[in-house]
Amino acid sequence: MPYTALKKFTVLDLSNRLAGSFCAKTLGLYGCEVIKIEPPSGDLTRKWSDSPNSCEPGDSPLFHHLNAGKKSVTLNIDSPEGRDILGILIQKSGVLIETFQPGRMESLGFSYKSISDTNPGLIMTSVTPYGQTGPHSEFDYTELTVFAMSGAMHREGLPNRYPIRYGAEVAQYYSGNLAAAATVSALLKFLRKGKGDWLDISIQECMAGHPHQIGRRAPFIYSGELDPREQPRISASGTREPYAVGTFRCKDGFMSFLPLGARMWPNIARMINREDLINNPLFEDSDKRTANRIELESIFQGWLNERTRQEIFEAIQEAGIPGSPILRSDEVMENEQFLNREYFTLVDHPQQGQIKLTGDPFQLSAVDKMPLRPAPLLGEHTEQVLTETIGIDTNQVMSLRERGIV
Amino acid sequence: MNFNSTDDLPLSGIRALELSEIWAGPYCGCLLSDMGAEVIKIESIQRIARGPINPSPDGMYPEQDPGNHPWNRQANFNSTNRNKKGLTLDLKTRLGVEAFSDLVKVSDIVFCNYARTVMEGFGLGYEQVKSIKPDIIYLLMPGYGNTGPYKNYRSMGMAIDAITGHSYLRGYPDMDHTSNSLVHHPDAAAAVNATLALSTALVHRELTGEGQFIDMSQAESFMTHMGEMFIEYQMSGVPRDRRGNRHPGYAPQGAYKCEGEDNWIAISITNEEQWNLFCEIISLNLNKDPRFSTVEGRIKNHDDLDSVITTWTSARERYDVMNALQAKGIPSGVVLNCGPDTYADPHLNEREFFQIVEHPEAGIFPMSGPVLRFDSSYGSVTHNPSPTLGQHNNYILEDILGYSKSKIELMEHMEIIGTVPLPGADLGGSRRAAKEQARQKNTTLNNAENE
Repeated sequence: MPYTALKKFTVLDLSNRLAGSFCAKTLGLYGCEVIKIEPPSGDLTRKWSDSPNSCEPGDSPLFHHLNAGKKSVTLNIDSPEGRDILGILIQKSGVLIETFQPGRMESLGFSYKSISDTNPGLIMTSVTPYGQTGPHSEFDYTELTVFAMSGAMHREGLPNRYPIRYGAEVAQYYSGNLAAAATVSALLKFLRKGKGDWLDISIQECMAGHPHQIGRRAPFIYSGELDPREQPRISASGTREPYAVGTFRCKDGFMSFLPLGARMWPNIARMINREDLINNPLFEDSDKRTANRIELESIFQGWLNERTRQEIFEAIQEAGIPGSPILRSDEVMENEQFLNREYFTLVDHPQQGQIKLTGDPFQLSAVDKMPLRPAPLLGEHTEQVLTETIGIDTNQVMSLRERGIV
Repeated sequence: MNFNSTDDLPLSGIRALELSEIWAGPYCGCLLSDMGAEVIKIESIQRIARGPINPSPDGMYPEQDPGNHPWNRQANFNSTNRNKKGLTLDLKTRLGVEAFSDLVKVSDIVFCNYARTVMEGFGLGYEQVKSIKPDIIYLLMPGYGNTGPYKNYRSMGMAIDAITGHSYLRGYPDMDHTSNSLVHHPDAAAAVNATLALSTALVHRELTGEGQFIDMSQAESFMTHMGEMFIEYQMSGVPRDRRGNRHPGYAPQGAYKCEGEDNWIAISITNEEQWNLFCEIISLNLNKDPRFSTVEGRIKNHDDLDSVITTWTSARERYDVMNALQAKGIPSGVVLNCGPDTYADPHLNEREFFQIVEHPEAGIFPMSGPVLRFDSSYGSVTHNPSPTLGQHNNYILEDILGYSKSKIELMEHMEIIGTVPLPGADLGGSRRAAKEQARQKNTTLNNAENE
């Protein structure tokens, strides 16, 4: 359930697609009032179903996730009156999130400079695939293409096959989250100094500056060696216990492990009930265990074959070996830890009924909570926001509606 | 010393104490310091996370030479601790805890990514630290959170990747999960969420005067990056499966081989307009081919389509392909490697993404970033090198805390502070290593006696 920490601030969410929308959603989870501006035909992601067998009439799962807690106002910003209304909304906001192609805000009459002349405290957060400047700043993108350009993808996968992306829309979510962190920091500065700011967040740079990538650049600079795509038993972190590194099949699914160096070996031997191996000369040091890893891996695999993920998960806690079961989305929702912490949050959507949404990324102990609203219907809050925030009356709203402006 | 203290940075004037290793905590420290906070990284000479004390020469070290102080030259550490100040403190001693407490009095934030109980073990849990400074902001980020049946479970990024459902989605769809690499991305997601959490708590403190404890589960913070997957399951009853590089709703999408060794281009054709433009560019009448004329057909015959596209791309230079496609608005991107390719990328260079820093013991290095670009501080260099072990002991103890020279000398003498790790500090701690050594010695003695 959302917290009220940032309730003082109104966020105008002009974003389309994922990263900016997630940034706004996250700010909403911590109290901001988020007003999503949609074209009268609705945000693209309402119908952006990622599910191959979904031709359902309602909003997409992605839309439900990205927009829970927000208010929806429809506005045709290509009309002069629509732009006037947008101008007033910007005046009354603390944060503006936008994801247009660089230059589009200016052509609408809303460059940061012109906005900050009249609302100097505003934080404008621009989240784009390649940032506001540079030769690629107008490039179009998908998760795959921007992930590729970040340096993250080239080393994922097997050496003899094509590079492969991560599973989720990682680059966009991660960047949206970074944008949210920077935006809240800028709000602190606003409270302290009364000054706003303009943030230029590039999805490519967020992922290229990711700890995964920056750590790999050093060995290249130092030795000219690239971190290549590798067989999965070779760990990126250089552990010398390769027989137990990576993902293994067990009785009811898959487990991932990463033993941290040679000091883990006695624990592993004891865990698999083979203490005798500790004094076996074939396995007496890291080099020998690496040389004889096929034999050792088959002993380890034999132990895994007899056990479930839960049994193994408990055993590795005893033995102090980092690892965990690979869960499917339905299994995640039933996992005892997430259930115990009441992580998933139930909302009641007028069309979709009850849905469980992912909860808060962190818990604040000194801040009150408030209920989470489901994602808004298209234009659900148009009248409310226009009358309360802008101060026009119901008849005027009706007239705007008739002319297709809202 | 040219620490970034630009007043215009949003967190200038904020001091944070970092007790963290590897990525999730340290990268949070990087982000805070990128935004102007003074981040003091507290380490100890009893236990280091800066690689082995006596490493073999390899690419982890400048010129592949570990030098006399390998812990100050190690790439992993130096990559993820930019802009911080370095203090060593043995928190298992009274004087060490005292110095920490004195530092808390002049700090705003304490954050820690160690196992949940480590700080409590030092007598520095939230309640104790709060009694020293009531408005302190204090964050712990164990893998699974500070409550619940897994609260004491060990974790690393790869474990979080598995339990949250992300690993299940990764990998080649025609192979099983044993072919997956380990991915530690959840560490980065945790770092970002911790930064957001601390900023949010700073705003709350600014408005109310209150500090607080923040409970962050790395798993829960990462799951917000996959929220639609759980909703999709509830709406369709079918858990999402692996997709590789493809998309269930449009085609073609994939990584295609280009001219040169291990060179690839990522291409996404997301609608019919892009498809027709693409067919024009590659000058094949693919859109007239009944197998590919509709999106359903392209999804069904994706393998065939991929071979045709590969024939075209593999004879071409990857940037040329990208520029040709992007000129028509078709999403595409070179699959850059994270070494020479990113360093050479014209766009990253024009945006001055890489900043040269000079480290006192590791020399010159092109650091990556800044990632968070504020208009008010645009163009100012935001990166300073990572600290050497205990580099700022004197600055912190003398200049910030006003300790006398003799007290600092005493602390050095008692090995509470220092700049050289103790033997075994790289093996899970000097005390643990000493215990292990004693145990082995006993075993050998016993064995000798038995013989």
